[in-house]
Amino acid sequence: MAEKVIVGMSGGVDSSVAALLLKENGFEIECLFMKNWDEDETCPAAIDYKDALQVCNTLNLPLHSVNFSAQYQELVFAHFLKSYRSGKTPNPDILCNKEIKFKVFLDYALELGADHIVTGHYARIEKRKNVYHLLKGTDSAKDQSYFLYLLGQKELAKSLFPLGNMKKKEVRRLARKANLITHEKKDSTGICFIGERNFTQFLKKYIPPEPGDIFTIDGNNVGIHDGLMYYTIGQRKGIGVGGGFGDKEAPWYVVEKDHEKNQLIIAQGHDHPSLYSTTLKAVDLHWIHSDSSNLPETVTAKIRYRQDDQSCTLNTENQNSVFVHFEKPQFAVAPGQSIVFYDGEVCLGGGVIDG
Amino acid sequence: MLYFDHSASTPIHPAVLKLMQDTELNHFGNPSSAHQFGQKSRLVIEIARKQMAQAIGCLSSEIIFTGGGTEANNLVLWNLLHQQKKHVITSAIEHPSVLNVLKQLKEFGVTFTIIPVDHACRVNPEDIQNAITKNTGLISIMFANNEVGTVQPIERIGSVAEKNGIPFHSDAVQILGKIPINISDQKITMVSFSAHKFYGPKGVGVLYLKKGTNPKSLVIGGGQERNLRAGTENTSCIAGLGLASELGNKNIAKRKTHLEQLADQFKLEMTDAYPEIIYNGHPEHSLPGVISATFPAVTSNILIIKLDLQGIAVSSGSACSSGSVNTSHVLRAMNMSNDHNIRTLRISFGRDNSKEDVHLLTEKISEILKQHHNKR
Repeated sequence: MAEKVIVGMSGGVDSSVAALLLKENGFEIECLFMKNWDEDETCPAAIDYKDALQVCNTLNLPLHSVNFSAQYQELVFAHFLKSYRSGKTPNPDILCNKEIKFKVFLDYALELGADHIVTGHYARIEKRKNVYHLLKGTDSAKDQSYFLYLLGQKELAKSLFPLGNMKKKEVRRLARKANLITHEKKDSTGICFIGERNFTQFLKKYIPPEPGDIFTIDGNNVGIHDGLMYYTIGQRKGIGVGGGFGDKEAPWYVVEKDHEKNQLIIAQGHDHPSLYSTTLKAVDLHWIHSDSSNLPETVTAKIRYRQDDQSCTLNTENQNSVFVHFEKPQFAVAPGQSIVFYDGEVCLGGGVIDG
Repeated sequence: MLYFDHSASTPIHPAVLKLMQDTELNHFGNPSSAHQFGQKSRLVIEIARKQMAQAIGCLSSEIIFTGGGTEANNLVLWNLLHQQKKHVITSAIEHPSVLNVLKQLKEFGVTFTIIPVDHACRVNPEDIQNAITKNTGLISIMFANNEVGTVQPIERIGSVAEKNGIPFHSDAVQILGKIPINISDQKITMVSFSAHKFYGPKGVGVLYLKKGTNPKSLVIGGGQERNLRAGTENTSCIAGLGLASELGNKNIAKRKTHLEQLADQFKLEMTDAYPEIIYNGHPEHSLPGVISATFPAVTSNILIIKLDLQGIAVSSGSACSSGSVNTSHVLRAMNMSNDHNIRTLRISFGRDNSKEDVHLLTEKISEILKQHHNKR
């Protein structure tokens, strides 16, 4: 009997082509569209569903739909808001992968009798000596392993990423060749549930803004901020303090959010030393191989999606936290964001930047 | 392929389709035109109006053709803006084309009271009496519920409305062809119908307006339908609706028995295979052939997907435009736990279903439940 897989269809080009590739390889395929957000007014999910339906019709694959919005609210969005309230900058897409796509969705697919789930992620899974490894996607511009570092052995064993070896251009070419309606569809940007909406406006609905003072790093009060949660370390635009203020005509950057005093601290110039750090502490660690005892001494890390690999060494504090020393100073280390560790192309795992 | 979702929509009756094709081909003239082409089209519409009036027991002049049941409901509710009394009494189990409109109307000063239902999905007319205020200008209660099939005490609600001099609207899209109705016997002011629920085409419906009821149009234009629904009439669909209503009413007793037998057979076989099953709704006051059943062992979405993969269509009662299943507000209103809510299936039989079909359905559901059980 053919192996049965369930493809997580988002209505985008990547999952469309993932389904196409599996079909060409003789799997028994069903597709499942996930709705994770109950929309207020607009319904982008309905549009994506219609795209998914047309793709599945072209590929002659059955499609069904599931609503995980309740789980998303509880397991992802609640944490997202909590983290924002404490002045951090969380990444809900990483949590969504862990809690929804590779837990709720995976369990659902297994309940429907699937052997594996399939997603359109640009990352690779390799089994070496009975251990599943998560590898970067071949297309370095699209590599999504950063978002997948919270997966474990069970999840990797049950997942297939058919696009891991492909370039985005090639994916679009295949989609066009197969007449898939999504072949020209724009890549989704930003956080999935917010979509194209204004992020600040969105956040205001959930967290009441608490305006406070803006101080320069030298202690001058230079203005009022709208609420700390609207700012990210390293942010340049939208602070409300233009360039030309101070000695030189250079832009201002957010260097710190003092949550206790509700103060935003800014500094002038992209090269200002206060914007850089060579060490950080990462907590809530997760290692994909589950055994962290034989980590290499020198690894590389990304402190944000698409960042080039940064050489660093790790000093384990305890089971759950590690000090990271970078070879080169890092710009805008943002508490709440994830740091993901690599040994070459192998994703080792990661943690959340403390602060 | 087996279809058991007739409460969502019905397959078109072959005779209705034939009439619609003939109408499109031969009566394309604008019904408002003075020439023979137009006059023929006008006649087609008036025949349909008479058929519908006869099917529900009212005057032809009391029938307004609309773009469907949702539009009929909207026409009734938006008229609150034109009247002094802006308080509405409705129930917790209404269709979104009532409840969501009221939410929107709040912005314009409309207020409303939502009457609860009991565990069998029935409204208590006394609750309606108690909710009436000086400002109450409309009572809108569904005739029969689309998710569980419970039929409401329409006569008693009508009496309450009449006694207090309040217009009474009922969304009756589920009933035509299933339970006989003679509107002139009822104390109802306005009733909504939808053709695709009784083997007619989609996109056409009816609002019954008791003589003397004069709402204002939602769609303004050329004055068609007594100035209540502007826009050139959709002649073929209206013709289809007319014939479908006539066919729906013909042999209604026989149809009812057929549907009831299928439902009884389902319950007998299913309870035998799976004694944990729970049937929802009212044991007596219920639409024939509509079953709401809770399967505590498995979520309805899993059942729907697994049955669909075998070409069998059932539903969970409440689907959204992205095809996914949400918890049902109707089941919630019946005080059902969320856990049971998401494990509840709606099966609605139709004229083409046979005993063999029902047997296959219960067999397939039993198989899925067994697989599910073994995996645990």
